[in-house]
Amino acid sequence: MNPPGRSTALLALLLSVLLLAGCSSQEQNATTSGENVLHLFNWNNYIAPATVKRFEQSCNCRLSQDYYADNEEMLAKLAAGASGYDLIVPTGNAMDTLIRQGVLKQLDKSLLPNLKNINPAYLNSAFDPGNKYSVPYAYTLTLLGFNQEKVKELGLPTDTWAIIFEPKYLEKIKGRVTVLDSQRELMAAALKYLGYSVNDADEQHWQQARDLILRAKPYWAAFSNTSYVKELAVGNLWVAHGYSNDMFQAALDARKTGRKFGIGYSTPKEGAVLALDSIVLHQSGTRPDLAHQFINFMLAGKNSAELTNLTGAGNPNMDAIQFIQPEIADNKAIFPDRELLARLEMLQDFDRKQRRLLSRLWTEIKLRNL
Amino acid sequence: MIKGNTKANRTAKWLVSGPPLLFLLVFFVAPSLIMLFTSLRLPGEFGGLAPIAAPAEAVHGEYGLTLETYQFFFSDILYAEIFLKSFAVAAASTLICLIMAYPLALLIARSEKRFRNLMVLLVVLPFASNFLIRIYAWMIILGPESVFSHFINAFLGAFGIAPVTLLFSPFAVLVGMVYVHLPFMVLPLYTNLEKHDPALLDAAQDLGANAWQRFWRVTWPLSLPGVFSGAALVFIPVLGMFAVPDILGGTGDILIGNLIKDQFLGTRDWPFGSTLSIMLTLAVLAITGLAAWFARPATIAER
Repeated sequence: MNPPGRSTALLALLLSVLLLAGCSSQEQNATTSGENVLHLFNWNNYIAPATVKRFEQSCNCRLSQDYYADNEEMLAKLAAGASGYDLIVPTGNAMDTLIRQGVLKQLDKSLLPNLKNINPAYLNSAFDPGNKYSVPYAYTLTLLGFNQEKVKELGLPTDTWAIIFEPKYLEKIKGRVTVLDSQRELMAAALKYLGYSVNDADEQHWQQARDLILRAKPYWAAFSNTSYVKELAVGNLWVAHGYSNDMFQAALDARKTGRKFGIGYSTPKEGAVLALDSIVLHQSGTRPDLAHQFINFMLAGKNSAELTNLTGAGNPNMDAIQFIQPEIADNKAIFPDRELLARLEMLQDFDRKQRRLLSRLWTEIKLRNL
Repeated sequence: MIKGNTKANRTAKWLVSGPPLLFLLVFFVAPSLIMLFTSLRLPGEFGGLAPIAAPAEAVHGEYGLTLETYQFFFSDILYAEIFLKSFAVAAASTLICLIMAYPLALLIARSEKRFRNLMVLLVVLPFASNFLIRIYAWMIILGPESVFSHFINAFLGAFGIAPVTLLFSPFAVLVGMVYVHLPFMVLPLYTNLEKHDPALLDAAQDLGANAWQRFWRVTWPLSLPGVFSGAALVFIPVLGMFAVPDILGGTGDILIGNLIKDQFLGTRDWPFGSTLSIMLTLAVLAITGLAAWFARPATIAER
C-alpha cells in the first residue's frame, strides 16, 4: 500500500510515536493472563470490519490492531522499541529492512494450507526468495487516473506515461495534471517511460529522467500525494499520477456525488511500480499459533476478497477473484494481465550515497526550470 | 533608571535571568549540539544513524565520523539557491504581515479600552482551530472553481487579462504564510502601541505637525521595538515552514523546511538533514543578531 500521504503531519506523528512507543510495549506484554489476543500492526483501513468479526468468532480470540499510515512510521515505531506485535503488514522494501534486521520469525507453512491460493506471480519476490517470512496480502499499483469525459474530448491516450511527460499532450491539459510528490515514484515513472528499470541507479539515466521531468514540469499543477483524490473527484484535475486504491476512491466519490463525468484509471503499458504488502511474523509476538491461524484465514478467498471490495486493493489471491465485485475484478488497472504484470516492478532501497544523490536531483527538480 | 550593584541586587538578577537561561540551554543549546554531532555521523543502512564505533558483530555497514555532509552542502550552488529563495519568501511574508498588521494594531490600541481585549481575542481566535485545517480551507478558497477565483478572474477578464490559477502557486504560498503568521505580528505591535503616551501626539499637534508627520516622527520610531520583535516572530517561523508550501505550493515552491523534512522522512539521511538544520539555525541567529542590533535602544534614541 502507498503512504496515504499527509506527509505534513508525519513529522509530528513520528515524534509522538517515539514518545508513546515506550508505553505501548508494556501494555502489550500484559496478554499472558490467559485471554486469547492476537496483535496485528496494520495499515489504516486495511481489513474489512466484517472479516475481523468472523475471524474472532472462528478463533475464539480477540484481534487487537494498531495502525500506521506509512512504512517509515512503522519502522520508526518498531525501532523505538514497540513490541508485542504478532503480525505486521509491511511493503516490500520495508519488509526487506525487517528481514535484514533479523526481527522476523520464519513461517511454518504446514499451518498454511491456503497458501496455494496465492498467484505464483506474487511469490518469490527479490525481498524474500522462497517466502520464508512473508505471505502476500494485497497490493497497490502506481498508475494514471483521469477524467474520462475530458480525456475522450481532447483525444488523449491513457495507456502511456507520455500523457504526463510529453508536451504535445500536456499542452491540452496544462494546469490540470498532478504527479506524486515522491522522489522514488516520479523517478520510477520517468525511468519506465525512458525504458529503464525503476531501480536503475545509473546517474546518466537519472539525468535523462530529470530532463524529462523538467521539460514536463511547467505543465503540471502541483506535486500532490493526497489532494489529487478529491480534486479528481470534483473535476478540478483531469489527469493524475497516483495510487490505484486512491483512484478507486476518487472514482467512487465521483459516482456517489453524481458528477457528470467518471474517473477512470489505467496502468501505463511501459510498466509501473507495484507495492506488494505481505503479512510477516514479528519476533516480539507471543502467539504464533493464532498468527498462523489468522494468515490462513486471510488466505481464504472470501475473506481476502472483502478487503478488495472495500478499498479497491489489488488482490494476489486467485481464490478471491470469484468473490470480488465484477466491476473491480474486470478492471485491468487493479488486476493486470500476465503481459502487463511482467512489466511491473517493486521498488528496492538505494544505498545511502545513491539516496543522497537522488535527493539532490529531486531538489534540483523542485527548484529549477529547464 | 537607578543602577544598583548591591549583592541582593545581583542575586535577584540571577533569579530573574536563571529560568530563561536554563530554558535556552535545555531547548536550544543542547538540541543544537545533538544536531551538530548528528551532522558529523553517517546515515544508517535502515535509516537513523550508523554507529560511531565499529559494531560488535561487524557484519557490514560503515561507522565513524565524517565531514562529508558539509562538503556535499558546499559542493553545489543548489543549496545556496534554496536558502536565498526561502529568505526571499520569508522577507516578503514579513513585509506583507507588517503592512497588514500595523493599521490593525494601531486601530486596536487607539480604540476604547473596553473593546481592546475583545479585539485582541478576535485576532487570536483562529488559533482555536487546527492550523492544518485552516490551510486546507485555503485550498477550497483558492481552488479553480471557488467563488473567489471566479471573482478575481472576472475582474481580470474585464481588463482583458487572461485568467489566473491561484491555487498551487507562489501566490498561494504567500497567502498561507501571511494568514498563519499575521497574529504573531499584530500582538507585539499592539503591546507596543498600546503603551504610547497620547500626550506625545497632542504635543506634536500643538507644535504644528500634521497627521502624517505625527505618525512618521512620533508613533513609528517609538513602535520600532514592536516592529522588530513582530518581524522576528514572523520571519523565523516562515523560514522553517514546510506545511504551507506542501499543501498550497505548486511545482516550484520548495523551501528549506521542505528540504529538511525530506531528509528525515523521505531520504532517511539524518546527517545531511542535521547539516541543513544547522545552516538554517546559523542563518537565523545571524538575522536575529542583526535585528537586535538595529532595534537596540541607542539607534532609536538617535533619531
